[in-house]
Amino acid sequence: MSLNKKLVDMDYLLNEAPREQHFITGAQAMAEAVKRASVDMAIAYPITPQSEVMHLVGDIYAQGHIKEYYRAEEELGTMSAIAGAARGGVRMFTATSGPGLLRGLEAIVSWPGHRIPCVLGVLTRVVNAPLSIQPDNIEMAYLMHSGMIMLHAENQQDTFDYTLAAFAITEKVDVYIPVSVSTEGFFVTHAKGYVDMMSEELAFDVIDPYKAPVPAMDNEVPPARIQRDAPVQKSNFMSYLIHSVWQQEIWDSNRRAMKYVYQYLGGPIEVIHPDADVFIVASGCAAAQGREANRYAEEEGLSVGFIKVKCIRPWPKDEISAALKNAKAVIVPEHNIIGWLSKEIQASIPNGGIVVEGPRVYGGMTLPVELIMEQIYIALGMDSEKLQA
Amino acid sequence: MSKKITVGPVGYMPQSAPSMGVELSPEGKALLYGNIVEEEEAMRDAAKALLTMDNPTIFPGPMVLWDWRDDVAEKSAAILDLASEIPNCKIIPMPDYRPKYPKIDVKAEINPNHPNLTILDNKIKACVFIGVHCHYANLTLRMIRAGTACYTVAMCAEMGHEEAMASIRDVHAADVLRFRDIIIEVRNELGIEYTTTMPPENPSLPKEDWGALTPSDYGEYRSLIMSKKGEHVTAVE
Amino acid sequence: MSLNYMVPVSKFKRYLPKDYVELVDYGPFGKEFSEVGTKNMGKYKELVEEHPMCSGCWMAYYIKIIFASLPNPEHTVTIGTAGCGRLAISQAAVPFIYGNYGDQNAMASGITRAFRLRFPDQQKDVITIAGDGGMMDIGFSMTMHAWFRGEKFTTIMLDNEVYGNTGGQESGMSIKGAVLKMSPKGKNFNKMPAMQLAITAGCVYVVKMSPTNINKAAKAIRRAIFAARELGPTFIHAYTSCNIEYSIPTPDVFKDAQEMAKGRFAFEEFMTDEAKDLFTVVEAKKKKEVS
Repeated sequence: MSLNKKLVDMDYLLNEAPREQHFITGAQAMAEAVKRASVDMAIAYPITPQSEVMHLVGDIYAQGHIKEYYRAEEELGTMSAIAGAARGGVRMFTATSGPGLLRGLEAIVSWPGHRIPCVLGVLTRVVNAPLSIQPDNIEMAYLMHSGMIMLHAENQQDTFDYTLAAFAITEKVDVYIPVSVSTEGFFVTHAKGYVDMMSEELAFDVIDPYKAPVPAMDNEVPPARIQRDAPVQKSNFMSYLIHSVWQQEIWDSNRRAMKYVYQYLGGPIEVIHPDADVFIVASGCAAAQGREANRYAEEEGLSVGFIKVKCIRPWPKDEISAALKNAKAVIVPEHNIIGWLSKEIQASIPNGGIVVEGPRVYGGMTLPVELIMEQIYIALGMDSEKLQA
Repeated sequence: MSKKITVGPVGYMPQSAPSMGVELSPEGKALLYGNIVEEEEAMRDAAKALLTMDNPTIFPGPMVLWDWRDDVAEKSAAILDLASEIPNCKIIPMPDYRPKYPKIDVKAEINPNHPNLTILDNKIKACVFIGVHCHYANLTLRMIRAGTACYTVAMCAEMGHEEAMASIRDVHAADVLRFRDIIIEVRNELGIEYTTTMPPENPSLPKEDWGALTPSDYGEYRSLIMSKKGEHVTAVE
Repeated sequence: MSLNYMVPVSKFKRYLPKDYVELVDYGPFGKEFSEVGTKNMGKYKELVEEHPMCSGCWMAYYIKIIFASLPNPEHTVTIGTAGCGRLAISQAAVPFIYGNYGDQNAMASGITRAFRLRFPDQQKDVITIAGDGGMMDIGFSMTMHAWFRGEKFTTIMLDNEVYGNTGGQESGMSIKGAVLKMSPKGKNFNKMPAMQLAITAGCVYVVKMSPTNINKAAKAIRRAIFAARELGPTFIHAYTSCNIEYSIPTPDVFKDAQEMAKGRFAFEEFMTDEAKDLFTVVEAKKKKEVS
């Protein structure tokens, strides 16, 4: 790298390197992480509210932190080019939002099967129609079955840390599938928050394309007759079997990533008041509101627990089910209409009936803490006077 | 020790070892039937399998077959040393990862897209994979566990393989030689008399002079390759 | 780097299948075009041998020519998409990327740039080979934009004027009036002008041909690869009939290709002035080496 950075491993970078506090937007936080990740190449395509991220990544390319950058034709072209470049052995980054994610989805869902290591920023936005650019994280539901690893950032600090960690996780030999880092559009991307960052003189170790579970497609590594993407569409038992064990391998890789979620993020969930009867469980921006509701409840002398889910895939089923073992009610605030998080939680515990499906906001609506408080009062069986107040 | 992973056939639709709760061993340790054990314990069990089961075979993969890095020659030599200490051992390579067309020569090679064909045809009951990229190794090991009764040993340069009966991680040439020594040790313990013998060469290698090949060797397809001026071939399928 | 990644470890050579040993000993890797190449097809171990294409398939024949023409097969990556062509392309002893539908030129944009970053001193050729549907219909935007961006790789379109692999549907490259599946009353718009689109989009070398002459076909492929290394995108639009969907009797496949060579696939070659200069230098150098 031309800027003469000191290359360090991710453990040092994330957990040991001295940090200084900055007051920046979520988009800046993501770009600042990319700056420290020794990214070789980034491919951009505009969509609100993501565009800000790739503008800033373009700036850091111009400053020399990234070697190659271009604006692609549209998202399918972007995501396909990522798959090509990653096979060529370089470290890749791009970001998108709502409809853009769905346009690129054909390529994105093929990344895990093609063993493409890369990091995808998902700055959430409603999916049309009607057209809107507002925050809503329904597009994450489409990624949940793709096989990729999904981290969900609560705020600007998380966005910075998770994005950096993602680059380490995606290239682990026993993982080697893409990692998405989601956070809510506008609420996080365009709002400022405090972010502790290490010096930009430090950067994550460069990629070793030969430390991989598949050969790089660069004519430098055997086999000569490489066939990474085996065409197995013949109609016979062997073709079905190879496809089925291949699919298993992707989800196994996803599962193996959990130990790195512990290593770099301190685990897939954060728990406050583990002994409470009533829990708020939330991810992303809703976790910020849930945390606030938890504080309100504390001030009112109510016993309410809080669980933040940092990683949606691999899904922390065991951790959540253990944390909710004695819960009587589980409130799941979300920024989407279908409630993908509450459905996952319901399926993770034996007594799914205790999950309160909501409160949910969508279409760009903010999530007032009062909505969560209302559910807390109901769950605690408090009288309607309190509810009115 | 309860065996989480056992010699197959486990059936039509195999469950993957990681989904059964098997985790990769930490550095310095090995996996034996899905349990984390000392390397020596795994190697001794693997040695016993290779010495007592039918048609032991070593499957070297691309990373040790092709001379692409400085350290390959040493590791490959060690693999041959290992093979030469196992009675009746064969070497069947996995030279690349694309599905074979039109049909695999099961005596000559193994392929990650249909590895069970080679295992079944050669009645292999114990084998070692080494030098295969991890993705393909996992697919191969799982398909073998699904459809065959074969004890699998994975000697992995990276983190090992949950699917193998015995998985040794971070394998370099020295580790292969250590395994060879354990083979000799176990062989003596079992009282097997044996003199070091190199495995037979690949059965697909009859002598043929390709330098003298002419278009007529292509038979009926010759016209598709290079028709002569004015030539009109009618006798094709 | 050297050819090491395709040379067997000496001690293992006797354990390799015959096919691989021959590929190394008698294959085209690291050899001059004059030693191997299209002129010597049948006399060396070729990169494509057995393949599952239909009997009499003109596309299979042209794919063999493509691989025999490669100036640097040991440093070449091919990229394709769904369609008949990839059935043969994936049998070649050259790395092949089988991506998603029509995404070959986007993928090639990524990998070409990755190679130029990682190997500034080693030429790595990237070639996309796809059918008319993959290139001009579903992949149209990605094909065109790779050209507009000036991506330095070669695009080869195997035009059989139909979706052969999926069972004979109309494509944008079918001729007007063609009665095919999904055009039961005949196609009601014209064949897309692929060559003009390529020139307009900035390809520096474009050829349209019906490859009846092996040496002429090889020359075009090699020129396209040489120009892509130095100058910018190049495009070959080749007629590769589908004798099944167009019911061409196998013995008449060549005759049909010859008729096309006189008709809508009459040889046309476009090159920029820079490409012309480049070919003068490259081809003069080769003659000198030979003599």
